[in-house]
Amino acid sequence: MKKRGEILVENVIFIVLNILFFSILVLFLVKQSTGSYLLEQSYSKQIALLVDSALPGTIMTLNMPQALTISKKNNFDFNKVVSFSRGNVNVNLSSGRGYSYHYFSNYTPHAYPLDEKTGVYVITVSK
Amino acid sequence: MIKKGSNKLISVYWFIILILVAGGIVMMANVFYSSPYDIRSTEANILSTKVANCIYFGGKMNPALIGVNGVFKQEFKDNFLSHCNLNFDSDISFTQKQYYTQADFYLFSEIQPQKSFELSAGNKNWIADCGIKTSKPKLPVCYNNSFLARGPTGKIYLIKTLSIVGNVDKNVQ
Repeated sequence: MKKRGEILVENVIFIVLNILFFSILVLFLVKQSTGSYLLEQSYSKQIALLVDSALPGTIMTLNMPQALTISKKNNFDFNKVVSFSRGNVNVNLSSGRGYSYHYFSNYTPHAYPLDEKTGVYVITVSK
Repeated sequence: MIKKGSNKLISVYWFIILILVAGGIVMMANVFYSSPYDIRSTEANILSTKVANCIYFGGKMNPALIGVNGVFKQEFKDNFLSHCNLNFDSDISFTQKQYYTQADFYLFSEIQPQKSFELSAGNKNWIADCGIKTSKPKLPVCYNNSFLARGPTGKIYLIKTLSIVGNVDKNVQ
């Protein structure tokens, strides 16, 4: 009886450690794939391409629910997520530097959140 | 006793295998997620389209580029970027321009088409890298395009455009 109990405890510890190990691995992968750096880069490049291809008078709406979730998580103001300065689009989802990408269009873009609850941003391009 | 010892040995090996697998997955994830999105081919395509639309739009050549007598204007050539609403200047000083664009105009009716006009702007150093065929992506992306346009005098021009996007640091690991 005593021997059987020992084997059971060993097995339980082994299984628990395995589950713990794979859980940490899955958590790591999830964290990597939803990191703010990746999203900042992705949004920044998407917006730069949109601005580059836009003509003056264009109004675009960009659905950014993931940006809203992450900026809320980082206690960062959603109004300041997208900004434009000197030919660069800057996307910030935390209090860090964010990610900026250059656009070659000489038109003037503006960005403002349409709805802070749904995470929709409006980007306008003017002369 | 021998059986118990061999079981423990298997557990140790099992954890070594797990650590190796985890290490591999972590490395692969890091390599995958740390490599930036490469959007340069799309950028080059958009740049080419913008230049083409600036030269010829709505069935007419830009009147700022060519006069009614069919003479190309030097002023357009000198201020090519501002006429086409392009801005290649980066906010970071002392860094080379990451873009180059060029448009060559050929009279289409001629048997041996000769270049009658050309426009260019940006970093000319990128041109040399266009012809290089290599598996290494740390080179600028080049996009060639050509189209026909009817001038104000009725002459047909073959316009060949070349758009180059550098931005290697932000698009290639």
